[in-house]
Amino acid sequence: MNKITNIGDFSRQEGQLAQIDPGKLLPLPSPYDKMEKPPIRQLTEEQRKRMDASLDGVVAIGLTPPASPEEEKAFIEKFLAGLEKLFAVENNWTFLQPLIHTLDYCVKCQICSDACPTYQASGHQEIYRPTMRPEILRRIISKYIKKENFLLRKFKASDIDLNWQTLARLAELAYRCTLCRRCAQVCLLGCDNALISREIRKIFSQQMGIAPKEIHEKGSVQQLKVGSSTGMNPAALKNVIEFIEEEIEEKTGRKIKIPVDKKGADMLLIHNAGEFLAWPENLEAFAIILDAAGVDWTLSTEIAGYDSVNYGVWYDDFQFARVAIRQSQAAKKLGVRKISLGECGHAHKAGIVIADRVLTGDLNIPRESILPLLEEIVINGRIKLDPSRNNFPVTLHDPCNMVRLMGIVEPQRKILRKICPQFREMTPHGVENYCCGGGSGFAITQSTNFPDWRSAVSGRMKFKQILDAFQDVPGPEIKKYLCAPCSNCKGQFRDMFEYYGVWKKSGILYGGLVELIVNAMADLKKPFIQWEWH
Amino acid sequence: MGTLIIVLTYIAYVCIVTVYTIKVVGWLRLPPHIRWDLYPVIHEKNYRYGGSYYEQQEWWTKPRPKNRLRSILYSLKDNFYMGEYYKRNPLYWLFLLPWHLGFIFIIAFHILCFFAAVAMVGGLEIGATSANLAGKVFYYILLATGGFAFLTGTFGSIGMIFIRLADRSLRMYSMPMNFFNYIFFLIVYGSGLFAWLALDPTLVEYRAYWMGLITLSPPVLHPMTVLHIVLFDIFLIYLPFTRSTHYITRILAYFFIRWDDGPNQRGSKMEGQINELLGQKVSWEGPHIATGKSWVEVATEPGFSEIKKDSK
Repeated sequence: MNKITNIGDFSRQEGQLAQIDPGKLLPLPSPYDKMEKPPIRQLTEEQRKRMDASLDGVVAIGLTPPASPEEEKAFIEKFLAGLEKLFAVENNWTFLQPLIHTLDYCVKCQICSDACPTYQASGHQEIYRPTMRPEILRRIISKYIKKENFLLRKFKASDIDLNWQTLARLAELAYRCTLCRRCAQVCLLGCDNALISREIRKIFSQQMGIAPKEIHEKGSVQQLKVGSSTGMNPAALKNVIEFIEEEIEEKTGRKIKIPVDKKGADMLLIHNAGEFLAWPENLEAFAIILDAAGVDWTLSTEIAGYDSVNYGVWYDDFQFARVAIRQSQAAKKLGVRKISLGECGHAHKAGIVIADRVLTGDLNIPRESILPLLEEIVINGRIKLDPSRNNFPVTLHDPCNMVRLMGIVEPQRKILRKICPQFREMTPHGVENYCCGGGSGFAITQSTNFPDWRSAVSGRMKFKQILDAFQDVPGPEIKKYLCAPCSNCKGQFRDMFEYYGVWKKSGILYGGLVELIVNAMADLKKPFIQWEWH
Repeated sequence: MGTLIIVLTYIAYVCIVTVYTIKVVGWLRLPPHIRWDLYPVIHEKNYRYGGSYYEQQEWWTKPRPKNRLRSILYSLKDNFYMGEYYKRNPLYWLFLLPWHLGFIFIIAFHILCFFAAVAMVGGLEIGATSANLAGKVFYYILLATGGFAFLTGTFGSIGMIFIRLADRSLRMYSMPMNFFNYIFFLIVYGSGLFAWLALDPTLVEYRAYWMGLITLSPPVLHPMTVLHIVLFDIFLIYLPFTRSTHYITRILAYFFIRWDDGPNQRGSKMEGQINELLGQKVSWEGPHIATGKSWVEVATEPGFSEIKKDSK
């Protein structure tokens, strides 16, 4: 392993550019300051032969090295062709202006590094700087696309050797940024280095068909093919809904018929389908609240109409548009007045904001977050709530997509202030929050040792924040609740808490917002939240 | 020599205005992009905590007032303050801010010189002993602006060389062009500083120079002042070819990217532009994309039937 000492090292044919050093990682409070196991599992020799891990010994994509010089040449040429397309209006009107702005005007002042939780938590690993990816791309553009002459390249320090290794590392590096855009938020020049991560991912996907399996094949492709990225087809969905209805009755004694494919309903509610399988209590809580408040709503069984996820938002404009269009078509078919997004951050941003300039004509159906409606139900007393039922320490995680990237900050807080007497904020919070570490598809990426990396590195800053928020009640004897109104973030917390043994050591349970609302419902005989780790 | 600097100055100003205009127009003419908002959005009512209109139920039925003045002031403020740098790297800020203030004030100084010259042509006497109050005020404003520009520019240029070398993270990303710029700008500001302090403490030569420019009568100046003016003219010609356009484009990026939160509405001009872009043919070659079809055709295909086994 050789450390990176200058940008040119990125093209080095041999060696690994970075090694995560446990001693240099952001310190965590006790008892997490002494971890028994190494933070990231080492790859086996066989895995190393099969998958490139020369960036940092971690694999999200794991490209297989080329078998011949010809294969390497073809790989490079294909990448360069894709890179050129990134600057063509017809191919990339979607992000051309912010892309060009960032590449042209970033002065590499590094204040974005100070804002990046991954860079900070990693112990300042050079490769994780938000400026590294754009700089590599800038140099490739200078030498191979603009074909600037040697002297100009020297003057601009924009020389780089392009080989398979460079591109394999660049592909991996694009998946070491959670796209939380904290870096962009602090940039005084309006540059967005996180966007460059996405644009690099886009070249690999849209030109070369390369993306982590969990995001593409098992993600957006499966969603378009089967109906959901979970693999749950409409028939399975109906079974799950029946199960949820039974669970509601068992837990609350209420017989609630969840509306499915109800034509002309006021609102189509789309959940992240991960909830159906991993956290059905979230869906149960939604059904209980909407039923009690008398909301006219429905679920859909159309392809993509029952799964709000849109993984394309992380790596591929066309996959993004395909899913957004299918979701809108599902709403159109039902004749609903509006679409409402459940507790999923990226689905919020994708469906409400980003799809805004893809959906035209009658597909442009009004779309909103469910949170303002929940706020209205809670604050206006449409259901009777008893805050003493939530008398345990609660903190709130702000999903980046919903908060920093959409400005939905207060509705969830107003609810928590009303129903959770021991609610406390993290520092920082709101639009300055830290990412859970599972953003941009990381929470679902299970490749080899990548889950270790996202628990030990990209999620580390958030983990510390959570522990700090509960520092007055650190032990497991007092049960605490981390409210994360985002399915993707919950996936990250599930894995990260498991990784650190949080339930046993600190007694912190994670869950959604609606579970807390239902738990506070005065007319329920039993508490809704079950303090069990699962 | 007097004629040379008049001609050179006109060329310099035409050059800087033309190249900046081309760059800014080029930036603005890029096609509309997918919304990529980032909060806080300063024109929003709840900008203090970063809230948006999406916090309201059925936001599309509610008014969305925008405080444009606040946005403009906010975006300009950082040209003079650079708060994020102060917060995150105070030593860098200590040099970066004066360096930038040097730019702003030297340009402001020359603009003021132009107005002073116009006033002088109109009969106003400008000087510390001017009988006219406006002449006195003009004199001291020019002195303060010019002196501040030379001082901050010189200090900032030296400081930037130091900090770019001393700070490892900055050094790694620095390029020879950065140091060329710092040294060149140091010579520009330093020559101005020297001419001011040693030869022209009242800056009377600048007023004469600008009088000459607007009356097209070559001024007689000290060679050191001439040297500074020639260097300054070259600086003006060179400036647009550096990243300096960011003084303008950073504000554009705020308004047209970061704070561009206007929803697309049916039948709007934006929708028309998008429909046009959706109709363009794409040439991406990924296995899930049908090359040669229009954007909208690709986006409405399922895409999965073409997945190849070798895709990762």
